[in-house]
Amino acid sequence: MAHAEHTGDHYHPPGLKHQFEDMKQQEESVSIGMWMFLVQEIMFFGGLFTVYLVFRSRFPMAFAAGSNHLDAFWGGLNTLVLIVSSLTMALTVYYAQKGNRNMQVIMIVLTMIFGTVFLGVKAIEYTDKYNHGLVPFAGLNKKVKADEHPTGGEHSSIANPLETKVSAAETTTTEEHHYVNPRGEFQWNYGESLVAQAEKGGFLTEYEKSGYYSNGKIDAGKFRERVRSFYWIYFAMTGLHALHMIIGLGLMLWLLWKAWIGTYSSEFFAPVEMAGLYWHFVDIVWIFLFPLLYLLGRHFLHGGGH
Amino acid sequence: MAENYKSEQHDSDHTEAQHEHMTIPRYLGIFAILVVGTILTYVTAQFDLDWIFPGANTLLALIIAFTKMTFVVLFFMHVYWQSRLIWLTVVAGFFWMAIMFAYTMQDYLTRSQGLFNN
Repeated sequence: MAHAEHTGDHYHPPGLKHQFEDMKQQEESVSIGMWMFLVQEIMFFGGLFTVYLVFRSRFPMAFAAGSNHLDAFWGGLNTLVLIVSSLTMALTVYYAQKGNRNMQVIMIVLTMIFGTVFLGVKAIEYTDKYNHGLVPFAGLNKKVKADEHPTGGEHSSIANPLETKVSAAETTTTEEHHYVNPRGEFQWNYGESLVAQAEKGGFLTEYEKSGYYSNGKIDAGKFRERVRSFYWIYFAMTGLHALHMIIGLGLMLWLLWKAWIGTYSSEFFAPVEMAGLYWHFVDIVWIFLFPLLYLLGRHFLHGGGH
Repeated sequence: MAENYKSEQHDSDHTEAQHEHMTIPRYLGIFAILVVGTILTYVTAQFDLDWIFPGANTLLALIIAFTKMTFVVLFFMHVYWQSRLIWLTVVAGFFWMAIMFAYTMQDYLTRSQGLFNN
């Protein structure tokens, strides 16, 4: 090696690996490596966004109907929770750069708390989908035997608040519906009113129509399969995102330990910064998932028959 | 060490710049923008904007999401003060995703399913 000046009594910063000239060069290399990884992650999620784009462009009404049975309150709350965790993560990097060990530890713990709250809300949402037969895997929904709910009204009385927002025409069908799901299959008990609305408004294309209609009439079974596509995409995207959150929490745990023993200083904080990049990336994915999954059909609920 | 740094190009001199530029009030400012953006996304989604053109709701939601993303990338992820190589990497990442979207959709949207003749 040509770096004879790095030997002897020359000052050697903590955390500087021998292959780098100085901390600047190391920082730059580490950053570029992390960004290359994130670009790969962009393409990873990008594949799922492409699937979303293709399916939604073909069956927008089925997507809107499916989306309207996600709970936008929980989704919005989770968006805020992630933004707060992004702030605390950014402050972790800030305090690491300042060499403030105590504030670093506090901020990492806060980030972990908010990350866990996010996953908790996600679990509540998944449970709700399980209870309402909206998991697109046959057999992975709550099994409801035929004699379990002798009266149809019993089910709707425990329905979540979101369902009451659905137009009056749908509510009556839900009340009369005898909710039975003995094998835990994917269910769609909320009607096809959005398709009728789209047809009345004149924006139901022939192609989309061919996906919902049999012999000139709306086919509930066909429509259910289109909505099921939406829930597939919902579970794939939020599931992959949740997996990233879990990995992120693992990183935070490691970071917490390293920060606790005082590894990071104003000279060496690259691992904190890189973990931060990862955390912010996961936040960015959610920034897009929230409107695209939870809010896409919301305006149809209030707009009426435009 | 300091004289080494001075000889470096100014745009790779980012750690010092970060200390100067990102202060706690600024982090809180970016945070406030993100919260306002989230609330705006939620509120605008409730109104039917299809009278402007079909899909205006989605376009507006995506514009807000892109704005939020830009603030996170530039300031929380410090890209604003990074070297040109990292700028290039970030932009290339999104550019490649745009290629994936564009080439997929130019296929799907031009299949003979009557999308353009009704």
